[in-house]
Amino acid sequence: MVPLENYLVLSAILFSLGVYGVLARRNAVLVLMAVELMLNAVSLNFVAFAAYLDPDKITGAIFAVFVITVAAAEVGLALAIIIRMFRNSATANVDEVAQLKW
Amino acid sequence: MGAEQAWLLAAIPAGMFFVLAFFGRYMPRQGDYLGVLAIGTSFVLSFFVLADYLNFYDFEAGHTAIAESIKWSTIGVGESAFKLRMGIYVDQITIVMFGVVTTVALMVNIFSIGYMKGEPRYYWFFALLQLFVASMLMLVMADNLLLVYMSWELVGVCSFLLIGFYWEKRSATEAAKKAFVTTRVGDVGLLIGIILLWRATGTFNIREIIEIAENGGIGSTYLFVSVLFVFLGCMGKSAQVPFHVWLPDAMEGPTPVSALIHAATMVVAGVYLTARLLPLFEVADGTLLIVTIVGLVTALLTGFMALAQTDIKKVLAYSTVGQLGFMFVALGSGHPDAALFHLMTHAFFKALLFLGSGSVIHATHHNQEMDKLGGLWKKMPITGTTFLAGSLALAGVVPLAGFWSKDEILHATQNWDGGWALILLGFAAVMTAFYTTRLFIRTFMGEPKDRDVYEHTHESGFLMTFPLVFLGILAVVAGFVVWHGVGTALGFPGGITEFVFLEEPERYHINWALAGGSVAIAGVGIFLGAWMYWGNSTEKSTRLANWNPGVYDMLVNKFYFDEMYQKAIDRGVLGFSYLVAWFDRYMVNDTGVDGSAQVTGYSGYILKFLQSGRVPNYAMAITLGVVGLAVLGLVVRA
Amino acid sequence: MATEVLWWIFAAATVALSAGVVFSRSVLHSAIFLIGSLAGVGAMYVFLTVDFLALVQFLIYGGAVTVLILLALMLTRQGATGVPEAVSGSQAPFAAIAGGGLLAILMGVAVAVKWPGDVSDKPSHISIEVMSKALFVDYGPPFIIASVLLLVALVGAIILARQEEGE
Repeated sequence: MVPLENYLVLSAILFSLGVYGVLARRNAVLVLMAVELMLNAVSLNFVAFAAYLDPDKITGAIFAVFVITVAAAEVGLALAIIIRMFRNSATANVDEVAQLKW
Repeated sequence: MGAEQAWLLAAIPAGMFFVLAFFGRYMPRQGDYLGVLAIGTSFVLSFFVLADYLNFYDFEAGHTAIAESIKWSTIGVGESAFKLRMGIYVDQITIVMFGVVTTVALMVNIFSIGYMKGEPRYYWFFALLQLFVASMLMLVMADNLLLVYMSWELVGVCSFLLIGFYWEKRSATEAAKKAFVTTRVGDVGLLIGIILLWRATGTFNIREIIEIAENGGIGSTYLFVSVLFVFLGCMGKSAQVPFHVWLPDAMEGPTPVSALIHAATMVVAGVYLTARLLPLFEVADGTLLIVTIVGLVTALLTGFMALAQTDIKKVLAYSTVGQLGFMFVALGSGHPDAALFHLMTHAFFKALLFLGSGSVIHATHHNQEMDKLGGLWKKMPITGTTFLAGSLALAGVVPLAGFWSKDEILHATQNWDGGWALILLGFAAVMTAFYTTRLFIRTFMGEPKDRDVYEHTHESGFLMTFPLVFLGILAVVAGFVVWHGVGTALGFPGGITEFVFLEEPERYHINWALAGGSVAIAGVGIFLGAWMYWGNSTEKSTRLANWNPGVYDMLVNKFYFDEMYQKAIDRGVLGFSYLVAWFDRYMVNDTGVDGSAQVTGYSGYILKFLQSGRVPNYAMAITLGVVGLAVLGLVVRA
Repeated sequence: MATEVLWWIFAAATVALSAGVVFSRSVLHSAIFLIGSLAGVGAMYVFLTVDFLALVQFLIYGGAVTVLILLALMLTRQGATGVPEAVSGSQAPFAAIAGGGLLAILMGVAVAVKWPGDVSDKPSHISIEVMSKALFVDYGPPFIIASVLLLVALVGAIILARQEEGE
């Protein structure tokens, strides 16, 4: 099949795309989606390592399970916050929610 | 009681100082007789020391000094620890100084009982005299430079306290300050010199230092510099030019103080120390020349300055400085015998002159200006006669003491480098004779200038006239100790030149040419003085003064030394203080204190914009940080 | 051979879809692209023969999370003004630099490092027994804690998002 490096490069690309999304987009929900992308990339990385380097005790895959779990919880909470924010200021624009400034 | 107990000579007055200082005011007569008792005891004991020393003295066998010392302290541990010993060193120089100091001190003490009667703080005056005598005696018998320095400072302090005795008078406190500060400048030089010598030899002991230097143990430039620094101290204490400015002002003190400290004893400390360290000066090339030049310049300049003074004490003060210059010239020519001989005779007749002027001042109710005096001989015969003896001695008239010692000095300089020193010294001697004559005539002879003052004058009491007579006799006969016969009759190995010497004793022979020259010099000076002021008329002198007012002003204003110093200090001290003030305001305050606060505030003002409150900005910061750290990690690993 | 080509196809697709998520102009389009991207990652799990994880991925991510996101999108629609808002935020160029830098570093490391162990081309088949053993035996306590975490998160989300009286 494919060598390990392929999976690593793939996850690197996905991660970088996620980083760009977090930093550059204005819609809060979109930022959240980019975060999900990053988490997925990381999980992929772990599972690739587990499968290639440690197939007996696939610790990496277990890690990925937990990542998925926590990501789900986090998405729920983050969206609840976004909805709250939307109700307060009628905008889902991250650039405009800046009350904690100097 | 032998020479080993010579320290008692200093200890007894020192003890009496404490007694008088603490209990003097409660004693009957405020303890003045105790003062006389203490110094009288030292005076008597000095004869015992002398006898013991003469017993011991044997030049052939090398027995020339008695030294006793005790272990004082150990600094450091182990092998390289510095062991400090303090002790006494009695040799010919010490013996001469003992005689001078105790005699003059005793006479001054007796005189003071009469002179200071009714003055405030009477007991304190006598206490200070005790302290001074103790310190001075300690100074001349110290065997190491540390002890010398300590006594040096002590006599300086006593001088300060005594000059400022009438501290209610502003001029007195100013004079005391001036004396102390001026000598302090010299003292710094002395301290540096002592430290330099210690660094080179590892010891403070004078004998050891001289031995090491004579064996070439100290580098020649190094020795030259250290000896010069030490000589700076001597210049300061002995009021040589340019340090001479304090001595005339020191006349603010009571006249017995002037007699004791500023004529006979303290100011000769510089001469003493130079004489003591003369072997060092011999080894260090060029230092003796400097000593001679300093002495010559001083003798000439102060001679000129004395010509124009009208205060009798000031004339004597300048005369003292000039005579000290003579002594230094003698030292510079390698003749400590001539210097110490003149020191001794000068102590006697100068103290006599000062005490005499004290008698005049006391009798005329503190009138010191010659403009108001005149014709006092008839009213004060004893004072006048003794004053005459002192004046003749100072002028160098044969056969009084001053003639022999001055002649010795001229004899010492005659071999010097073409004889120019001799000529200059001779000129200074002419001036000495001249102003001495002027002083005597204007004070004691002719018509009195102020009738009122004249009427109220009367001869002083016994307590004041006795010292005058005693010193007067000494002023006449003291010079004869230069003769071999006189010396041996007194128990010495010979005349004074066979007792005090640099390398070996030499018998005194009259050099008729020189002796004749001395007589001529004195004669010329006296003649000029008498001719100008005959009958106490200032007519001729006023005409001379007006003939060239510029020169006269220079003389009266003492060549403007004081003004120059004041200007220099003003410029220097004020200039420096402006610099320091500038530094304090702009560097320390504005930049340091205010500046650091402002930097903090301003950077806070700039940095607050980092807090935009916008989450994406913070996320960016985190990401950039991570990227940066990753790059750093890779670079470090590579 | 065939699996390799397949792998490349799926990899390219995942990258394309992810790019779509991030660069798309419409948020809804991004959400759809996200579903695809997550599915792509799931496919990767299949290639790594961790079937269980692939299933979990499809179910949870593809199912629950994306639905949540779509719901949130619907609830936070901006005002229906005709003017399309700018999509990219103020720091887009710096974001590109940061992302690019990160990509460069990660790829560089990935390619340059000699990975330890026997990196054969073939990942061995990972059975579900291995996974269950690891999950329930070796990492039992974290498992239970994670479930508690989920409970807490859900309760928290409900509290945060519920409407107050009279809102």
